[in-house]
Amino acid sequence: MIWQLDICILTLIVICAFATIMVKDLLSAAIIFGAYSFLMCLLWTEMGSVDVAFTEASVGAGVSTVLFFAAVYQTTRRVGSRKSGRKLSKLVALMATLLTGLVLVIAEADFPGFADPFSPASLHVSPYYITQTLHDTNVPNIVTSVLADYRGYDTMFETAVIFTAGLAVIAILRSYTGVDRRKLPRRYIITEGYPDTIIRFIARQLVPFIQLFALYVVAHGHHSPGGGFQGGVILGASFILLAISYDFNIVKGIMSEKMNVLLGNIGVLVYAGIGFACLLLGANFLDYSILSQILPATDKVMARSHGMLGIETGVAIAVMAIIVSIYLNIVSLGKYDKGL
Amino acid sequence: MPPLIADYNYWIYILLMMIGLYAMLAKNNLVKKVIGMSIFQTAIIVFYVSTGAKHKASIPIIAHGHGHDVVETAIDFTHYANPLPHVLMLTAIVVSVGTLGVALAICLGIYKRYNSLEEDEIQEQLQ
Repeated sequence: MIWQLDICILTLIVICAFATIMVKDLLSAAIIFGAYSFLMCLLWTEMGSVDVAFTEASVGAGVSTVLFFAAVYQTTRRVGSRKSGRKLSKLVALMATLLTGLVLVIAEADFPGFADPFSPASLHVSPYYITQTLHDTNVPNIVTSVLADYRGYDTMFETAVIFTAGLAVIAILRSYTGVDRRKLPRRYIITEGYPDTIIRFIARQLVPFIQLFALYVVAHGHHSPGGGFQGGVILGASFILLAISYDFNIVKGIMSEKMNVLLGNIGVLVYAGIGFACLLLGANFLDYSILSQILPATDKVMARSHGMLGIETGVAIAVMAIIVSIYLNIVSLGKYDKGL
Repeated sequence: MPPLIADYNYWIYILLMMIGLYAMLAKNNLVKKVIGMSIFQTAIIVFYVSTGAKHKASIPIIAHGHGHDVVETAIDFTHYANPLPHVLMLTAIVVSVGTLGVALAICLGIYKRYNSLEEDEIQEQLQ
C-alpha cells in the first residue's frame, strides 16, 4: 500500500460522496455515483482486495449506474420540493448524524492499528485459509476457495438472497394490464433502439466477446481474480448493453421473464444440488472431497476444486438471470414493452 | 506517521457513513435516499476491507500456486492480505445490487401512484 495514493483516492471519494447527495439533478447524481464506485474500485485494488475491486467495477460502476438511469428514465430528473420548509427535520437529522459520528469516533479508539498483520481479525481463521488452501483444494486464489468451499453455506444463502431480490422486483413492478399481445412486435425484427448505425453495429459485435470474457472469468476464478459473481454480472451486463443500444425486444425474446426466473432457479438449484450430492454420497453438506467417487480421474483435492467450479457456474447463471430481470422490469416499469 | 493519522481509512469510513446516514435521514427525494443507502453500504465495505489489509502484503492469490512448478515452501500468512473480509464484502456488493433493484422498484411504484418522488409531496397526498 502507498499511503499517499490512498489519501488522494479517499479525498476524491469524499468529494464525490458529497457531490452526489448535494447535486440538484438525479441524472447527474447517478453519473457522479458511478464515478464514486469507480474510485472505490481503485481503492480496493490499492488495498490488495482484487476480487472486491472486480465486483465493484462490474456491479457498482456498471450495473448500479444503469439501474439508476432506468429509474430516472421512468420517473423524473427533478430534485427539490415545490414547497419549502423542513428546516427543523434537517437540523434533527444533522444532530443524529453528528451523534452517530461521535459514537463511531469514540469506538475507533479501540480498533487495532490499520494494516497491522497481527490484528485479531487476521489471526483467527484466516491464517489457516492462507497456508492450507493449496494443500486442501489446489486453488491458489484464496478468496475463491474461502467463498466456494470453506464458507460455502454463506455463499449459498447469498445466492438465494439475490434470487429473492429478483422475485421481489417482479412482484412489485410487474403489471400485465394494458399490454395487447397481438400488438407486440415480432421477435428478431429490429423495431427500436438508438438509431445510430455505428453504436448499434459496435454493440452487436462486442456482445459475444464480452460473454466469452465472462465465461473466462467464471472458469478462471480459481487462479485469478474473478468467479461466479463477477462473471454472472458481466454476462448480465452484456444483455443489458444489447437491450440499451441494439434492440429491447431481442433481449426480451432471449431472456424472457419465464426464462429469467427459470435460470435463477436453476442456478440456486445447481448450488444446493451439488451440496445434496455430497450428502447422498455420505459426506457433509457441500463437502466436495467426496465427489471424487463419481468424478473420473480425480483425487480428493481436485474434487474440491471441481466442486467449486460447479457451484460457481450455478452462481453465475443465477446472478446473470436476476440482473437482466431486474433491469428489464425497472426500465419498462414492469410492462416489458420498451426500454431506454 | 502519528497513530491518529495512520488510521486514515477508519476516519474516512466514519465520514462516509455520516454522509450516507444524513442523506437517508434528511434528503427529501426518494432516489437520493437510495443513493445515501448505497453510500452507507460502501462505507461498511471500506471498514471491512480495511480490517483485512496488511502492511507490505500481496493480493490473496498464492504466487506460483498452479501448474507444475508448485513451490513446496511454507507459506507465511503475513505475506497475503486477509481473504475473509474480501469474501464477505464481495457477496455483500452483489447483494447490494439486488437490494438497490428492490429499492428502485419501490420508488417506481410510488411514482406510478403519486406522480412524485418528493417525500413531503407524497405525504401531502396521503393526508
